[in-house]
Amino acid sequence: MTTIMDIIRLLTETPLIFVSIAGLTWGILGGALPGISASITMALVLPFTYTMDPAQAIALLACVYIGAEYGGSIPAILIRTPGTNSSAATVIDGYELNRQGRAGEALGISLMSGVIGSLFGLAMLIMLTEPLSWLALAFTPASYFGLGILGLSVIASMSGGSLIKGLAAATVGLMIATVGTDPISGVTRFTFDIPDLLGGVEPVLVMVGLFALTELMSQSGSTNTTQLNQKIKIKLPSLAVMNRLKRSQFIGCVLGLFEGLTPGGGGSIAAFMSYNEAKRWSKTPHLFGKGSEEGVAAPEAANNTVASTALIPLLSFGIPSSNSTAVLLGGLLMHGLIPGPRLFEQSAQVIDSIYVGSFIAIIAQIGVGIIILPACIWLVNRPRPYRAGFIFALILSGIFTLNNSLFDLGIALALGLVGFLMRIAGFPVLPMILGVVLGHMVESSYRRSLVLSGGDHMIFLQDPIAVALLSIALIFVVFSLSREVRDARKTRIEEARS
Amino acid sequence: MTFIKSIGQAVLGLATLAIVSGANAQAEPLPYPNKVVTLVTHSSPGGGSDVFLREMTKYLGRYIDATFIVENVQGGSGGKAMARVASGPADGSVFYATTPTYIYTSLMSKPQSTYKDMDPLVNIFADSEVIYTRTDGPYKSLKDVIEHAKKERGRWGAANPASLERQAAEQLKRAAGVTPAIVTHEGGGDMMLNVLNGTLDIGIGEIQELRSQLDAGKITLLATFNPERITEKPDVPTVKELGYDVSLVKFRGLAGPKGVPDATKAVWDEAIKNLLADPEYKKAYTAEVLVPQLIGEKDYPAFINNFATSTEEFLKSTGAIK
Repeated sequence: MTTIMDIIRLLTETPLIFVSIAGLTWGILGGALPGISASITMALVLPFTYTMDPAQAIALLACVYIGAEYGGSIPAILIRTPGTNSSAATVIDGYELNRQGRAGEALGISLMSGVIGSLFGLAMLIMLTEPLSWLALAFTPASYFGLGILGLSVIASMSGGSLIKGLAAATVGLMIATVGTDPISGVTRFTFDIPDLLGGVEPVLVMVGLFALTELMSQSGSTNTTQLNQKIKIKLPSLAVMNRLKRSQFIGCVLGLFEGLTPGGGGSIAAFMSYNEAKRWSKTPHLFGKGSEEGVAAPEAANNTVASTALIPLLSFGIPSSNSTAVLLGGLLMHGLIPGPRLFEQSAQVIDSIYVGSFIAIIAQIGVGIIILPACIWLVNRPRPYRAGFIFALILSGIFTLNNSLFDLGIALALGLVGFLMRIAGFPVLPMILGVVLGHMVESSYRRSLVLSGGDHMIFLQDPIAVALLSIALIFVVFSLSREVRDARKTRIEEARS
Repeated sequence: MTFIKSIGQAVLGLATLAIVSGANAQAEPLPYPNKVVTLVTHSSPGGGSDVFLREMTKYLGRYIDATFIVENVQGGSGGKAMARVASGPADGSVFYATTPTYIYTSLMSKPQSTYKDMDPLVNIFADSEVIYTRTDGPYKSLKDVIEHAKKERGRWGAANPASLERQAAEQLKRAAGVTPAIVTHEGGGDMMLNVLNGTLDIGIGEIQELRSQLDAGKITLLATFNPERITEKPDVPTVKELGYDVSLVKFRGLAGPKGVPDATKAVWDEAIKNLLADPEYKKAYTAEVLVPQLIGEKDYPAFINNFATSTEEFLKSTGAIK
């Protein structure tokens, strides 16, 4: 036993710099594997941290999170499959750029936007953790309802042409979100006496099914193989490009900050919202969806910001705002560290190593990202049947690892088929995913508010945060509707002319 | 990825082995028919039962001559873990970590295997369930809270919809003859926020989840649902003392497949008694405010059945089951 103990000690008592870079590398690889989300990547490494020094263990987990948020964009751009939930928004323009033969540029933009987002997030984490912890406290159930509605209000602009089809898809998503145990009364709904459905349909299954499996199915049907056999070189964006992207990156950083602070959201909502906002404020909104650099920069800056700012409510209140921070919370508790106001006084060393470790990982990300990219590109350039088979196996094993459940595999495969049929019929899948992700939060916070108020809807107008969020949502809806109408009219006029 | 996970589990197993065998055994461990014993929990790594089992396995090897492995079988609110154990070999090599959750799931969602398909083995701990409020709020005692609920609409929080905390809240409401809104949440952290920001008058939860805020002085305990006062918090009265006949025990123990030999059960009775007296382990669990509550193999089945019966009545009265 002594030798094993010695080996474990040797492996774990290495300096923080090694721990950070190891965490980052594992994070990028895990994030890059479709179906393996940031939280799964972190959960997989969790057992290895049992015997580590608590400060290093927590720093390692934080660095895995950072790496996974960047890693997720690699398959999003290269094979139209988000590696993590929060890189789903990157698929839209990232993959489009890849089709135009600009995959290298897209990857470079994703990498640099991620670094900027991470640095911004870390700065915010260090500066705001203690002062801003009141924000988490100010959120009542009514405010959460406002937040959920704000998230849903972007559906209109994600429907890609047909608002009706988008709303239909979103409704199906909301319906899927009602499966499981009722969040307020505890009554089971639509579970058909199947115990596996008690916890509901996990959003990750919907995302993997609708994005990844659907894509594999469509790819298998297409005979066009030329686009993937090109030699892709990573191209870091020039200063001029970075200058052009600064507005979208700024939007990503700010929304990432808010999303990280407010529990319930996580990186995916921040990424979608910043994509939407970047489009709204862009000088070239017509490029979005057709290969816009900004469409990659904004969500990637946002999800990397969340990887740091999500630690703010976690460390100051012990409230995990995403699945990944829930894993991190598990890691903290495992080492006897209880997050909360006193963590900063009692375990300053842990806090310091999170800050220092994250900084090392962010800087190393540029180097490690470049070193790992060719490996990923090599993978993408393998013959399609091999690659598709490999990805299929990876996705399925990733889903299985989630709960060791064959039932989950069935759900994901069924949703893959649904997504394939939706694509044929021209229904967008993004609104459906948003419905599943947000439906639960909207429903439970709505009903919880009404329990509090005794059924009086005025509670939503008495809460200042709820009022602010609902007003912004209303503005979003009005703006995107008017844009929809304007665009439709323009297209009709153009069609009439031609 | 299952491959990587199994490596993880192997490393974890080795690490546990190292810790177990590296520790100084105070007494000779009792002989046991199996070399490896798997303890199954429905909780995720880092969750309540997971931490309880992993902490316990560090010391258990001193009293039972076997290696203990913790297996997380998540999903179906415990339904899968129960099926895994109920269909496992009844030779003492696999046990399930019991909590009230397994009764709730059995009653509410007709899983493949229920608590009835397992033999309760031994109870080890009871978690302390408490009523808390924010320190700078208007309530200084449980009486203030009840008085407020008589005059206006009270707002009480429970961590989960189908949980012991909800049951406690409903029972207290009935015993005190008041009609507050009982607001259920998704976990204790969620509820803590609403107590801290004044949305709720009180919250009902496990003391372990409150420690950080309690240490920081942000919240105050008003009462405990434990049958007796908590040793570490002697100033906190029990709900029963305050005149409301409600008390409950959030148990933590083990259950096995049906038909575990009596000789094997006897080993556990003896070992858990010694384990709870282990000074090092005692220090660890006292810090977690876990109250040792040894219920041996003879009495544990009756205890579980009683609990299930009263829970079933409660669930029927709220309309959660028919």
